[in-house]
Amino acid sequence: MTFPESILLSRRGFLAGACCAAAAPVLTPVTFAAMPGDNRFVTIILRGAMDGLDLVQPYADPAYAALRPKLGLTPDTGLLDLDGFFGLNPAASALMPLWQAGELCFVHAVSTPYRNQRSHFDGQDMLETGGNDKSERTGWLNRTLAVIPRSASRKAIDINTSMELILTGPNEADSWSSQSNFALAEDEIAFLDRLYAGDETFAKAMQEAKMTDVAADSLYGDARRGAGIADMARLAGGMLREEYRIANFSINGWDTHVGQRTQFKKAVGDLSTAFTTLKEALGDENWKKTVVLAMTEFGRTARENGTNGTDHGTGGLAIVAGGAISGGKVLGQWPGLADDKLLEQRDLMPTGDVREVAAAILYRQFGIKPGNLTAKVFPGLTFDESSVYLKG
Amino acid sequence: MALSPPTLAAIRFGYGLRPGEDVSGDADALLAQIDKGVSEKPRFPREGLTGRVETATRIQAVLAAEAKARQAGKPNEDIRKEVQREAQRIYRQDAMARIAQALHSPAGFYERLASFWVDHFSTSVLKTLPMRAIVPLYEAQAIRPNLGGPFSKLLQAAILHPAMLIYLDQNQSVAPDSIAARRSGRGLNENLGRELLELHTLGAGSGYTQDDVRAAALVLTGLAVDNRALEVVYRPRLAEAGPISLLGRTYQDDEGDGQDHILMLEDLAANPKTAQHVSRKLVRHFIADDPPDEVIQTMVDAWTKSQGNLSDVYRAMLQHPRAWSDPGQKIKRPFEFVVSGFRALDLPEKSFATLISDMDNEDESPIGKAMEMAGGAAARENARRRAGRANAITLGALQRMGEPIWRPPSPAGFADEARVWLAPGQLSERIAWSRLIARIFGQKMEPSEFLEAALGDAARPETRQIISQAPSKVHGITMVLASPEFNRR
Repeated sequence: MTFPESILLSRRGFLAGACCAAAAPVLTPVTFAAMPGDNRFVTIILRGAMDGLDLVQPYADPAYAALRPKLGLTPDTGLLDLDGFFGLNPAASALMPLWQAGELCFVHAVSTPYRNQRSHFDGQDMLETGGNDKSERTGWLNRTLAVIPRSASRKAIDINTSMELILTGPNEADSWSSQSNFALAEDEIAFLDRLYAGDETFAKAMQEAKMTDVAADSLYGDARRGAGIADMARLAGGMLREEYRIANFSINGWDTHVGQRTQFKKAVGDLSTAFTTLKEALGDENWKKTVVLAMTEFGRTARENGTNGTDHGTGGLAIVAGGAISGGKVLGQWPGLADDKLLEQRDLMPTGDVREVAAAILYRQFGIKPGNLTAKVFPGLTFDESSVYLKG
Repeated sequence: MALSPPTLAAIRFGYGLRPGEDVSGDADALLAQIDKGVSEKPRFPREGLTGRVETATRIQAVLAAEAKARQAGKPNEDIRKEVQREAQRIYRQDAMARIAQALHSPAGFYERLASFWVDHFSTSVLKTLPMRAIVPLYEAQAIRPNLGGPFSKLLQAAILHPAMLIYLDQNQSVAPDSIAARRSGRGLNENLGRELLELHTLGAGSGYTQDDVRAAALVLTGLAVDNRALEVVYRPRLAEAGPISLLGRTYQDDEGDGQDHILMLEDLAANPKTAQHVSRKLVRHFIADDPPDEVIQTMVDAWTKSQGNLSDVYRAMLQHPRAWSDPGQKIKRPFEFVVSGFRALDLPEKSFATLISDMDNEDESPIGKAMEMAGGAAARENARRRAGRANAITLGALQRMGEPIWRPPSPAGFADEARVWLAPGQLSERIAWSRLIARIFGQKMEPSEFLEAALGDAARPETRQIISQAPSKVHGITMVLASPEFNRR
């Protein structure tokens, strides 16, 4: 087993594809002839803690196979090789065309400043408020609106029945529902099963509900849930074709404590649907001006647990897609998975701040001044034009 | 499991816990709610009792005129459709007001009793178009003011209301020997007579016969609805003069003053079988499907001693130790579930009023039209979407869960047994509703705090733990509402 040089040698450690030591940009400089105010930005919140180590598997890391004996794959067992070091979970095969077109990249080992508590609620709050601590009460995407120089770019929409925290705040934003409210994700069903476990009558009703067609429809039908995600993405794309420039929605189903392989497959299917539907709904011209950022509150434990799943961790994975990026790369500073490289010997060590990825996108897409990004959008973040995410 | 009396009082005898609302866990405090409830004007009918009588009679008159014109070969579809729309809107607004009434009232026990009695004396808005406007009036006029006094008075108010006569076809019934029968060829309709004995008073299987049903129906002849005033009137030419014998009593309308049916209702109210039937039904509704006989017996004793004074009967139930033990055997009915969910969320008046206006804005009300003109298609689409959402979490949800307001499946009302309300399909509807309102109202709530507000000491330790680990706030709130302890009472 040989290590790619770049991983071992990178100082700031900006990993730009395992073969290539030079830092590469997430975002191309604005070389295309974009109309002022024409760029788009979509955020997708992956609620429940998405396991980045399962989606983009570091199969060539020597410690990986031992940490993930059941979940880990290799190119020989179906993993879709990305760069000789990382491979994509085959459940995300629908994303490969985007990858091959250079319209998709992953940023590994990133996180928010949230540490050591591993509560979904607090973790998501911090992801959405964009602060360094819990004191911030408004969403960073909402605060962004006030500092976008061009007023035409300030129209934002949340695809939800009501405003999610990330877009909540003093600046005007809309929320709009695709009416796909009833679809439950696998992890949510697993939680309900636990909730009913101690009440025989409810447990029985829940089991029967899952068996019957009617309930399968309203509770966890794949097709219906997939359609729900597609509806949201289509609505977001449609809004962005019109006067909206910023959209947000959420995908649930990532809290894979038990039976991860099945659950994860469904959630990844939703994620793939979201990206491909967005591209389709936006149309070629608009897709070229769009960047999509999917992010999660934290990652999951490097080790599998005893129930074929993983538990709450720290370092995670961000996904960036769109026609406006120079993708086809796995980015980030890879910390390694050896025991002494893990955070508290259990979690992927976060080596980058997911907020910096977002800041770089906002800088590129809307021309927001770095000073505004660090003072108003992401208080406490270090970011300027020299950011690794802007190199190239 | 033992619950603190205040929690049990709120969830078993009220519409659930609401943050900031003081609940006393004793019989006297609950009974005091009745006086308060009776003295207050309910939120429906929206235009008040007198106003509603005017609305309903106008609707009846317009429909009658249109029917006449139709017979004359000049139908006016536009008028019919307009009346249909109006009736539908009235029903929708009052049904929403009924949710608001239960949601905002601190007199939860009184509100639960109102629901119990409206169900006991079921009528349905689906019977005729004007009934959309009359049934809410019926609840406000006949049921709510009378549910704390003598059963006899409540029985008369309910049976002798236009809503009941229309619903159970009494306005069609004509004594076979009467002048009207000879002229019109119409005859006796036993519908109200049968339900009066079977559902409202003695109870099924209590020993009465088909002859008794017919006798009751005969005594009721003469009763009709005056559509112009929306009043129950007595018309001797429809009536059976008698003598009619029923359960050992003989009724005869000697004076032609139509008082024989009052005597019959008084006798039925005083019948010991009625005390048995109603007491049992009350306990089954509030406490358990198979209540201990001793609870029923203390209530029947109180009934006998007080000559059917309902407050005394409730007191006997509430003072029995069984009223405060063994919680969780009943499943909240959908209306209770939805109302208690909104209460747990501490939904402010303003938020619920917004839902109501969202629904009003969709139809072709002046506001809806103005919005359309001002904002064009997008505004209309937005209004449509908001109306759809408001409906989905209120009236639409109740329909999906099987308890649409004022629309019982039969004169026997809605089912009350726990097993009916815990079917698999029911559970998935409740999960779906929980999720929907968690997404709309709960995005910024802390699930653990919400759990305290919604369940108090009814929360099981495992529920507390699971909620604290939920994958998102929304799912945390969803699970509190979908939890067994939130659905049991």
